[in-house]
Amino acid sequence: MSLWAALAGGFAGTLVLTTALSGATQLRLTRMDVPFLLGTAFTDNRTAAKVVGYGLHFVAGMAFALLYYAMFLVVGRAGWLLGMTFGLLHALFAGSVLVNVILPAIHPRMGTPFTAADSSPLLEPPGFMLLNYGRATPIVTIIAHLAYGAIVGALVAAT
Amino acid sequence: MGRYAPIRDYAVIGDGRTVALVARDGAIDWLCLPNMDSASVFAAVLDAERGGTFELHPTQRYEAQRRYRPGTNVLETTFTTASGSVRVTDAMTLPDANLVPLRELARRVEGLSGRVAMEWRATPRFEYGKRTCLERRGEIPVAAHGSDGVAFPSWGAGTPEYRDGGVGGRFEVTAGGRALLSLIAARDEPLVLPPRAHVESRLDGTAAFWERWSARLTYAGPWRDAVVRSALALKLLVFAPSGAIAAAPTTSLPEAIGGERNWDYRYCWIRDSSFTIEALLQLGCRDEATSFFWWFMHATRLTRPRLRVLYRLDGGPDVPERVLDHLSGYRGSRPVRVGNAAAGQLQLDTFGELLDAAFGYARRGYRLDRDTVRHLADLADFVADHWRDPDTGIWEVRMEPQHFTESKAMCWVALDRAARLAEASHVSERRRARWLAEAAAIRAFIDERCWSKRLGSYVRYAGADELDASLLLMPIMRYDDPTSPRLTGTIEAVRRELSRGALVYRYAGEDGLTGAEGVFVCCSFWLAEALALAGRRDDAARSMDAALALANDVGLFSEELDPTSGDFLGNFPQGLVHLSIISAAAAIAAPPS
Repeated sequence: MSLWAALAGGFAGTLVLTTALSGATQLRLTRMDVPFLLGTAFTDNRTAAKVVGYGLHFVAGMAFALLYYAMFLVVGRAGWLLGMTFGLLHALFAGSVLVNVILPAIHPRMGTPFTAADSSPLLEPPGFMLLNYGRATPIVTIIAHLAYGAIVGALVAAT
Repeated sequence: MGRYAPIRDYAVIGDGRTVALVARDGAIDWLCLPNMDSASVFAAVLDAERGGTFELHPTQRYEAQRRYRPGTNVLETTFTTASGSVRVTDAMTLPDANLVPLRELARRVEGLSGRVAMEWRATPRFEYGKRTCLERRGEIPVAAHGSDGVAFPSWGAGTPEYRDGGVGGRFEVTAGGRALLSLIAARDEPLVLPPRAHVESRLDGTAAFWERWSARLTYAGPWRDAVVRSALALKLLVFAPSGAIAAAPTTSLPEAIGGERNWDYRYCWIRDSSFTIEALLQLGCRDEATSFFWWFMHATRLTRPRLRVLYRLDGGPDVPERVLDHLSGYRGSRPVRVGNAAAGQLQLDTFGELLDAAFGYARRGYRLDRDTVRHLADLADFVADHWRDPDTGIWEVRMEPQHFTESKAMCWVALDRAARLAEASHVSERRRARWLAEAAAIRAFIDERCWSKRLGSYVRYAGADELDASLLLMPIMRYDDPTSPRLTGTIEAVRRELSRGALVYRYAGEDGLTGAEGVFVCCSFWLAEALALAGRRDDAARSMDAALALANDVGLFSEELDPTSGDFLGNFPQGLVHLSIISAAAAIAAPPS
């Protein structure tokens, strides 16, 4: 099990995850757009936000791959199936805590359930399991993270 | 049948998330928690027996007078009795730096003179009157259902007594004395039980916020009080967490007492929101307009380029309509509906109003980024492809789709504004040329098939021989020069055929529903605005004065009026009416162009 393989897996996994989510938005399955959500924390220019957001998403994807790697080491084995298991947990955590609770709390342009008449946020909050962004969003998110986990797990296991 | 206050007797308080209806007698008869499109906790306005309410009033006979504290959405009701008088100040508070409840409603009681015995009683009913779960936790009454909870902390308002599924208390206020009651709400988290000082402080801070907000409004023309009140009412309809704008904060207040025309307006109609943006921009409210455009761009991603007529406030497109059989309806007006089946209708006029709002936004110097322009261009392509289709029109009638004249005119507006926006953005000349060609074809269709020589007016739909007040939007939206013979003829025909004094019916023909309805209040202000644009300013000012005189004592309007009794009908307060007040006042005040 190699650290470099985990980083490579994180990069490749994020590539697939981002592409899958983007494809889902083009198919009108979801309004979830992770790079846009991340990038608008830094700018209200939509185009610039997506560029910044893609960069941040890849950094986050590789950081999560390192966490996967640490967990593979603790478990003592790696593989695509174990990676998918981590991916499922990752998706549930992202939908219920990371994007639903933490991101609105720190995002300067995103509304929260506490946002009141004295402010005018630019982004609606995602809601539990990101359901505000379309009913198919949880499914899409889980599938994308399963793919991410499988790629990271497979690459780490191969080295 | 239990106690039903006239709709005219209600005022509203809100916090940008939800809205409560407060009756003249001090009862809060409508409150959905935590958001205005959530299920109700108080719904006595829809079922006096089982809906739930939060009463607060003197124990003896009284006269009630009320007003909004100037420039705010903080309501003051003064009860005068034989033994003295008290003032009740009601507000949904806004968050401050303290640990705040998810939602908080504060009711301050101040003794003004003498000695007044007061009583309060709360009967929270979750799920639109279905669930009663009141319990005692220490000294604070708490009601909980699922992950929802509400509590009723009070200070100086008597010891809570529990009976008949409710809680209440009695207390006495003397001149200079104070009591405080509150309702706090939580969902998915523990209730936050604030100390009295925090509630008092938030109540004062909330009033100060509203004063600052209304002081920023840039309007300085005639009828300023009505314009400011309308802006404040519209601001309550802006759902702050997302930027969406609700048409009204209520459901199923009937368009005719005892009738079936009872609809849920707690959703974001793209049309009404577009009008609202234009009205708020006229008043200098840039933040709300920008927030709405971001919400719009996000909400419509699943359906683009087709627009749903309405969306949920959280941006979701699914608004299934269902009937709440267990509620008897306002004065027996059944069914009580939640959700709205109009969501799936095709209403082509929506595109025109939205593109006009975007055009107005850009014209005032605000930036429309490339993504937004691309999305708007896709909408224009959709209009170019579909304007020949029949639709259900602005009034979302439930009869067979028709070629409504106003819809076609708004399709012209959509393509005209898209072409003008394209001049300053990265849209191909080929697309722009197509839009202009289709716009010309629409104008030819309207002029040939939607004009009546007999009436000297455009008509309700192609081939019809009847009128529709929505035709007044043709001059207002600058389909043509408002002083042109055809538009002045249309304005006069609507005035002649559809108006009764200050009131204007929206149409005379069928709409696929049984029963009658009241007169649509916004049409009166559209008429005033159209008259002003046609150069008849004196007539416009008289129409404006007459229509504004129909407001209730705190300057609010419902959707419709009973032409005989003057009673309010329909959902309350309705955004479309209040934005038409702003628009008409601005048009009359503007220098002749």
